[in-house]
Formats: sequence, C-alpha cells, structure tokens
Amino acid sequence: MSEFAGLGANLGMSTGMIPITAPPETPKLPPREWVKANLFSSPFNSVLTVVASIIILAITRGLMSFIFNPQRQWDATATNLRLLMTQAYPEEQYLRIWIATAVVFTLTGLSLAVWRAGSAVPLSDVGRRLLTFGGTIALLVLLAPFSVRATIIWLVVAVAVAGGGEALRRLVDDERTMSTLGILLIGLSGLVGSLWVIPYGNHTFQLHRTPRVLAEPGTVALTTKLPWTVMLLVAVAAYFLGIFIRERLPTNAPRITLLLLWLLMPPTLLYLVLRDPSFDMGHVLGTDIPIFLVYAVLGGALLNWLARPSTGEIGRIVAALVLVAAFAAFLTPMRMIVRLDMLVLAAFALAAPTFSGGPRARKNYVIGWLGFLGIMSWLVTAINTPSTVKVPGQFFIGGLSLTLIVAVFTIVISFPLGLALALARTSNMPIFRLLATWFIEFVRGVPMITILIFFSIMVPLFLPPGMHLGEVAAVIIGYSLFSAAYLAENVRGGLQSVTRGQHEAAEAVGMTTSQKTVFIVLPQALRISIPPLVGHCIGVFKETSLLAIIGLFDVLFIARSVMPNQTEFMGSTKENVLFVSLIYWIFCYQMSKASQRLERRTGLGER
Amino acid sequence: MTAPTTHERAHQRVPLWRDVIVLKWVAQVFLLVVVLSTMFFLATQAGDNLRARNIVSTFDFLERPIDIQLSEGIDTHPDTGARALWTGMVNTLRISVAGIFFATLLGIVVGLARLSDNWLVRRLGSMWVETLRNIPLLVQMIFYFSVLTTLPRVGLGTGPINGWFHISNKGISMPRVFIADGFYQWLMVVGVGAVAAHYVRRHRQRIQDETGAMTSPILWGIGTVALFGLIGIFVHPMFTWMGGIFGAIADLLDSLPIIAPQILFSVVALGVAARWISRFLTDHRSVRGHLSLSDDDWFRIAFAALASLIIVFVLVRWTGFSSWTLNSGRDLFHVLEDKFNVDGAARPFDAMRPDIIQKSRFPNYGKNGLTMSIGFAAVFFGVVFYTSAFIGENVRGGILAVPKGQSEAAMAVGLGRGQVLRHVVLPQAIRIILPPTGNQYLNLLKNTSLAVAVGYSDLVQIGQTTYNQTGMTLPVVAIWMLFYLSCSLSISVVVNWFNVRMKLVER
Repeated sequence: MSEFAGLGANLGMSTGMIPITAPPETPKLPPREWVKANLFSSPFNSVLTVVASIIILAITRGLMSFIFNPQRQWDATATNLRLLMTQAYPEEQYLRIWIATAVVFTLTGLSLAVWRAGSAVPLSDVGRRLLTFGGTIALLVLLAPFSVRATIIWLVVAVAVAGGGEALRRLVDDERTMSTLGILLIGLSGLVGSLWVIPYGNHTFQLHRTPRVLAEPGTVALTTKLPWTVMLLVAVAAYFLGIFIRERLPTNAPRITLLLLWLLMPPTLLYLVLRDPSFDMGHVLGTDIPIFLVYAVLGGALLNWLARPSTGEIGRIVAALVLVAAFAAFLTPMRMIVRLDMLVLAAFALAAPTFSGGPRARKNYVIGWLGFLGIMSWLVTAINTPSTVKVPGQFFIGGLSLTLIVAVFTIVISFPLGLALALARTSNMPIFRLLATWFIEFVRGVPMITILIFFSIMVPLFLPPGMHLGEVAAVIIGYSLFSAAYLAENVRGGLQSVTRGQHEAAEAVGMTTSQKTVFIVLPQALRISIPPLVGHCIGVFKETSLLAIIGLFDVLFIARSVMPNQTEFMGSTKENVLFVSLIYWIFCYQMSKASQRLERRTGLGER
Repeated sequence: MTAPTTHERAHQRVPLWRDVIVLKWVAQVFLLVVVLSTMFFLATQAGDNLRARNIVSTFDFLERPIDIQLSEGIDTHPDTGARALWTGMVNTLRISVAGIFFATLLGIVVGLARLSDNWLVRRLGSMWVETLRNIPLLVQMIFYFSVLTTLPRVGLGTGPINGWFHISNKGISMPRVFIADGFYQWLMVVGVGAVAAHYVRRHRQRIQDETGAMTSPILWGIGTVALFGLIGIFVHPMFTWMGGIFGAIADLLDSLPIIAPQILFSVVALGVAARWISRFLTDHRSVRGHLSLSDDDWFRIAFAALASLIIVFVLVRWTGFSSWTLNSGRDLFHVLEDKFNVDGAARPFDAMRPDIIQKSRFPNYGKNGLTMSIGFAAVFFGVVFYTSAFIGENVRGGILAVPKGQSEAAMAVGLGRGQVLRHVVLPQAIRIILPPTGNQYLNLLKNTSLAVAVGYSDLVQIGQTTYNQTGMTLPVVAIWMLFYLSCSLSISVVVNWFNVRMKLVER
C-alpha cells in the first residue's frame, strides 16, 4: 500500500487525506526567472508566447463582448429559471421539489462527513488562488465592453480580492490550513446570500388554452431565497450530524446504510415525493399487502431453508422447480405483480447456495429478500397509481430535473445489466458469450440517436394490447440498454485484470463459480474499473441532451425550442444554450475532478 | 483428503443435477430459449400491431417516388426513396471524412500544446480540452448553429475578404479548387509516374542498404511523382486515345445479357467469401493443426458467409440491380470516353472564387465557391472541436507513456531533437495513441447523426423525413443500423490493420 502511495506522490500527484509522502518540492522561482524559464526560454518559445497571448486575448475579448453585448437577452434565462429546472411543475405543489432537494442535500452532507471528504489546504495556497482570481477578474474587466463607471467598480472589486489574497499569503504563516469544505461553504453562502440582495427575475406560469410562461420584472430571489437558505442550513446540519455519527458508531454500518439510502433515493423521490401518487387504500390493503405478505412469509421460509448448508442437492432441485413454476406462472394470465414476485423469488432461490451459511448469513439473506420484495411491490403499486400532480403534456416534470432523472435511472438500471453482460462476455460458456458479444458489438456500432428514436416511437408497436409504457420510461429503457453495452466494456477491462492466481486460489478454497465471482473477482474488478466507470457516468449525463432531439422537455429542449418562442424573448437561443452549456460544464467538470481526486486518494490509477 | 479417495470419487458417476457441464449447458440453452422466445413474441406482436394499423413494412418505398427537398447533397430533388437515403449516406460520409481529417490535425496540435515547454501554450491547451470535452456535443452544435444563423445577411459587397472569403447567415464560402476536363489524362500521367517512382524508390533503397549512405528513398519517390505531375500538366493530351478503348468497353457492356453480371457477381461474391474464410481458418491454425477461434472470429466468419449469401440473393431476386450495374457500367465507360475525348487544350485543374448572385430580392451564394451551409458548418465545427479535445488527450497520454530513458538514450547516441521525435518517440507513442483514437473516429462517425438537430441532411434526418412520409419506420431504422454498423466495422478494420502494421514495426 505505502509503496504504491509513494509512487503516486512521486508522479506529481498532490496529497489527499491519507498522509502519503510529500512530492519533492519544486524550487519556487522568483517571478522574473519564472517568466524567463516558462515563456521566453528560446526564440521559438517567445514567438509561441506572443501568438498564444494574442489568441487568448482575442478569445476572451470575443467572449466578453458576446456576453455583455446589449443585444443579449439574459433576462430570458433569469426569468425562465424555474422553467429550465422543472418545466411546468405546479406552483402549489412546489414544496415537493424543495423536499426532494433537501433529501439530496441531507444525504450529501451525511456522506461528506461519514466518508471524511475534503482535505486541508494551506491558507497561503488559498491566498495565491485569490490573487490569481483577482488578476483574472481584472483582465476580464479590462477586456469587457463596460462603461467607465462599471469598469472602475469591477476593478475595485478585483483589486480587493487580489489584495485580500496577497494579504492572506503574506500575513498568515505557512502552517495554518483550511478545509476545502470550509471554502465550499463560504462560496455557497456567498451565492445564497446574493439571492437576498440581487434581483434575478421572475415569471408566472399561465395555464390558458396554450400553457406558457409570461415574464414580468421582479425577483426570482423573492421565491427562492428562503428555500435555498434552508437547503444550505440543512446540508450543514446534516454534515455535523454525520460527524456525530462517525464519531459514535462503527465505520461500516453508517456507510452501508448511506449507500442503501442513495440507491433508494431516486425511486423514492420520483415516485413518492415528486409524483405524489394518490393511493387507493382499499386496493392497497385488500390486494397489494396480502400478496406481499404471502410472498414474504412463504418465500422467506423457503429461502431460509435453501440457504442452510445442510440442505444440499434437494435445495437446488427445488430452486430449479421454482424457476420452472415462475415461468409457467409468467405465461398464465394473472396479476402482473404476482408473476414478477415469483420470478424474483426464483432468482433468489437459485442464488441461495452462493450466500448459504450460519444463522446470521441466513438472516441477512432473508432480510435482503424482504427488503427487495417490499421495495419492488411498493414501486409497482406507486407506478400504477395515478398522480395528483396534473401537468399539461406528457411527463409531469421536465427541464434539468428530467435530465437528472433520466441520467440517474439510466446509470442505476444499466449497472447490473452491464455487469451481467461483462460477466457473460468473459465467461467460458459459449452461448452466453456469443449473445453478450453480439449484443455489445451491435449496440456499440450504432449511434445513440437511432436507438432513442427507435425506443421513443417504436415501443408501442412491440407491446401487447392493453399494456402502456410512457415515452420517458421507454426512452430510459432504451438508453439503459445502450449504456449497458458500453459499461460492460469498461467492466470487462477490470475483469480481465484480475489475475489468474485469484481465480485459482478461490477454487482451491472450494468456492463455487458463483461464489468466486461474487466474493473474489467482482470486488477487485470493480475497484479497478472505478475511473472508467465515472467517465462513463459523465458520458451518460452529457448524452441525456439527446432527449431534446426526440422532443422530450429536457433542459436543452426548453432552452432551444420553448424559450426562444416566448413573445418577450424572441430569438434568445444563443444566450439560453450558452447557459445550458454552463450547467452541463459545471456538472461534468466537477464529476471529472472528483474522479481524479478519488483516483489520487486511493491510488487506483497506479496499480 | 488423500489422493486415492479423490481418484475414486472422480470415477463415481456424478448425478445429473450435480454435473457442472450439464448444468452449464442447461442454463445456456435455457437462456437461449428465453431470448429467442422473447424476440419471437415481440416480433409477432409487432406484426399484429402493424396489421391492425394497416401498415405493411416493406422496402417498396425505396423505389417509389418521394416528395422531398434536401438542403444540400449530390441530389437535392431525389426522385425515389433509395436515392434520398443514398444522398443522406453520402452526406454523412462526407462530413465524417472531413471531420476525421481535421479533428486529427487539430487533436495533434492540442496534444502537443499540452506538452509544450511554454506555460501559456500549455494553459491554452488545457483550457481547450477541459472546456470542450465537458460540454455535450449536441449543445455545442446548437450553439454554433444559433450563432451562425444570427450572422448578417449575405450582401453583394460583404464578407471579411470580399470576393475571396464570405461568412454570413447562408454559410461560409471560400475559393474552390476543382478537377477540370483534362484531369483524367493528367491522372494517367501521374499513374505512369507512380510506377516509375516505385522503381526509383527501390533503387535508392538498395543503394542505401548497400552503401549505408543516406539516400532518402521515400523523398525520391515522392519527387518522381511530383515531377511527372508537373510534366503532365503540359503533356496530358497524349492520352486522348484512351477514350476509344472506353467507348469499346461501353459498347461491349451494351450487348451483354443481364444474366452475365448476375452470374459473374455471384461467383465473385461466393469466391471471395470462401477464400477469405479458408484463409482465415489457415491463419488461425496452430503449427499442430489445432484450430482455436474466439467469438469475434466466429462472428466474422458468419458475417462473411452471410454477407456473400445476401449479395447472391439480392443479385438473383432483384434483377433491377443487375440491369442497374449493366446500365451504370455502360454509362460509366461512356462518361470516361467523353472525359478522354475532350479538347487537348483543357486544364487538369481549375479554381474559382466564390460568387454572390442576386436572383430575387435577396442575394445568395452562387455555385462557384466552396460553400459550407450553416448546418454543415455547425456539425463540422462541433464534431471537429469536440473530438479534437479527446484526440489531444490521447496524443498527450501516448507521448507521456514513452519512457523518458528512450529519448535520453537516443540523444546520448547523438540524434538531434527532430530525429529523436521521428525515429524513437513517435513510433512508440503511435502504438499507444492509435487504438483509442480509432475509437474516437468511430464516435465521430456516430456523432454526425446529431446533424438531425441542426437540419443538415444526413442519413438520420432524411430517414426521418422518409418515414414520416411513407410510414415505413421499421425498414428505415433497419437501413440506419445496417449503414452505421458497416461503417463502424470498416473503420475498425482499417484501424486494426494499422495496429497490426505498427506492431510489426516494433520487432
């Protein structure tokens, strides 16, 4: 461990929370020599410097005059922020959005604390960053087409920032450090604080014959300043709660609980909080809960017996019979939930020998079954219950929320699928391997937009009469299949890097193939493939923009096709799309930075 | 456990439900049955639903007239569905090839910039990469498109350099170099030059091998071709007599019956497939004659056999194709005859400056210049910039992966900086750079399908219009997938071929 960490440090990676040997100090050159060494070391280099500075100045100048051109309608984005975030989610139900956000923030705060995120930065470094930041602002201000007064005000701000940084750098001794989380908190507080001061625009959503957004001057800050302040406080409180938990409880239990909560969060927020299903209690009590109870009790007993090591072969035969029964049940007309439960029970029964063991292992396995069954039953019930949120159009929420929902669900669904495909492709069973290979190669050879078009318009064709699938659901299924093929290739790289010795050792201990895969191979393979998997997640998030082509109301569609058609903001596409690209950029850049930090902290890239 | 007991156990009959091999096969066959029956179920369901809606999915629309108006392409008023889709394919290929070329150039520049000694250039490079690769391509394309559409209208006296270079909301127009009437004769001269160059290169190479002197054989070869090209500009009319030969071939084709090309092409297709498979099998046979094939190999063999059978099927069933090849073959040779029979004074190349014509109220670009429509420009810039960021990272990673000792050792031997780069670092780096860059080419090809969002008439956009008009969604989707699959396969074949070559260089 330590030698790998040292290797990471020597390659110029900076230190994380785990103390690793510091990189050799690069001697700090005085400014004049630094300029000479880095910019004018040779005639060719000097020419390059001049050319590069001209390019940089031209780009910056162009960008600034584009942004601050008086013709730009930045009001369009400011006024339509709510539309961009949630489309036409009804005003009176908006509390649901805030609750959902609060849940996300709480989990984030808890996780940050429990996983000890963030690192300590010397205050002098912060000072240097501020100095550079102030300098950049000053440069931008000088290049922007501002009035004299605005230029002077901004210059004063820039000089103040730079001066603060310089003061911090000079006055504070080198030993004082600050947490990166603290810096983040200061930044976010500044942002939230600005909501109370700066008017960002306002809108009203009008539900007439053609629903549309009417803009009026005012402040979005009026409607969001309080919620955002509460969100920030919730996150901070959750962080301190997390620290309390971290100090009092053993490490693993809170982490596993949190992971489960993260996994449960998307369906819960979408189907219970945001969609607000109006449950028919009579039906739930009379049908759904009894079915669940029957399966819970009988299935639990069966699994408990199957997971007993002494059960032996009889258990396998019974499990195979359950599978046959499940398929027979699936082909007979019954309630869908009964058939699905049976299939899941068969899968659990087949997997039981892999997880067999003492009373404790059996208890865990049965609890897993109960949890899975419960969540699945509840989800199926919730999905099939009509929503109280009435929104014109197809799906009850749109904008950035839809983008995030599709991205998260796609990743969650495609993960097990991709894992199965990767295992099948690397297995030594020819039919599995062939099917997986053909599927993966086919999907990877075809552009995503054709698959999305196929799923958005063709799925109704393939469904039996009487069965319905919303367009968003169909698209998520298609997107998951697409993403699973790519994910499988990423995981395959990890699977292939697990050495032969690991396989052989596992077999020597007497593990079955499935035990070897689940307990030995997969954990190692997944650990290695974390960096490409994060890259894959970024890709999935970026490609959700393709939803705009098939006409779903994602953030890009609203920015490109809805907002420029409002009478007040005719032809504001450029501004809106630039804003959307900023949103995407912030998300993707942060994710890629986070994955680099993770790689550095765990030394993943080095082994 | 002692050895004899395990031995005994191995000899005991294993019950069927414990036999791992049996279990594995049962599971596999079970899955296969499930997959096949699911597909069968979906297919029958789709058939029922289509019948209920009175839609019969056939490929007839390919030959039927279609009412479609394309913004650009080889045919802006295609008369049949097939012609429309073919125009789309050509447009897709056109933008992909141009995109791959320029993305590679720009990507190399970006990658080298990120490795530069110069701090400013390095920062510029990383700014480029970090900005472009973290914004979705579609968003970038739409942004470029919306910027281009709001440019000022084209006018008679406008453009950054009037008469040479115009940028307006109708697109970008610049001077065009094109092949003129004498080109084909000139090409013959160059062909002769290429043959000569081959011998010159071999000769110089032999001298270098024998004496050890630096004779730069490749440069000599290129110089020979260039010399012939230069001479050819003046002497190319000497090949005019070739026109008569092509005319004779055209007449011969005219007299052939349709069955001849059918038989010929079928035999060729079957022969090529059989030869390819047999060679493939011998290549994969080890010295002892064992044959070990991976799934990919089986896939390839099946694909080759299937492709040849499909070709034969099409040839036999669809006489239109054979007569079409016959007709177009005759046309081709007639065209060549005309090309060679031109007046001896024709020039092989010509160039024209962009022009602006005013037919109705608003001026527009004429046909003289090389004009990029804004749809094309948006897709092109989007694809090139986006891919260049990724290729730049590949280049940077590949060069960094060459151990520093290599270049230090080369310098210690006395090679100059350029020589080190050319003979030591690049040959090693390119082996690392090429596979991921090939992937980026594939992505670029697939990403051109986003052109549908900015109204460039690529295959997907034309396909959408086609199925909206004819209702033939399934066939159009099938054509899409086949086209993209075969393009992806071709690119990966080319990249693999280069990979193999690069590996040979290593030895």
